Amino acid sequence: MCPVLGHLAGKLESTDAEAEHRIAVLYQEFGGPLLRHVRKSTGNDLQWAEDVVQETIVRAWRHSARLQWEPSLIWAWLLTVARRIVIDGRRRKSVRPHEVEPPEVDMLAVPDGSERALSAMVVADALRSLSEEHREVIEQTYLRDRTINEAAEILGIPPGTVKSRLYYGIRALRVLLRDKGVAG
Amino acid sequence: MHEEVVAYVLGVLDEEDLEEFERHLDTCARCQAELQDMAEIPSRLDELKHLPSAAEDDPPMSMSR
Repeated sequence: MCPVLGHLAGKLESTDAEAEHRIAVLYQEFGGPLLRHVRKSTGNDLQWAEDVVQETIVRAWRHSARLQWEPSLIWAWLLTVARRIVIDGRRRKSVRPHEVEPPEVDMLAVPDGSERALSAMVVADALRSLSEEHREVIEQTYLRDRTINEAAEILGIPPGTVKSRLYYGIRALRVLLRDKGVAG
Repeated sequence: MHEEVVAYVLGVLDEEDLEEFERHLDTCARCQAELQDMAEIPSRLDELKHLPSAAEDDPPMSMSR
């Protein structure tokens, strides 16, 4: 092998090893908290939650450049990727008629404490105090598991307008929640 | 493009916009900062599902006091 290629191969190898090491560290650092977080949105379905965490880690591996971000940004990104995987999974399940099983059902059947209910009331109050336009897009997208384009069609407004209203609506919501001490 | 960060965090960005936004995120410090700020918002919204009246066909907004 010519010296240049040999050098390149060695470099690639060490980059791979480095990436693998980063994945191991990633699992160690974020695996546990991520699983606990994901379980909340899979209705405590542990198997599903474990699959979601695994797929999230695989995606992180594919984009290993992002693993050089600071830990709090990696965490935010992992949460976002995991959430998307859960949402996509839920959508796939709901298009199959015999597997309709809303993950929230468990949660509704077993109320888990007044503290959580209180926090939910604060969020509901904050939503109510947003402008109608802002509240509407939050309802028609996230709260109903719809994408931007789907909500745009239902509301009869351009997707860009939905994105913009969602952006300012969520920012306003975040300020309200932060003022009430539940921004997270 | 910057405004898409919220749709991205909420997981409601359409498939065709998703990859493009992630590429943008890689180089945009502003969107990276907002991603961090907004990351817990979906969990807060999920808490609405713990309220009995937040069932599928009954949106949270109908809970008038």
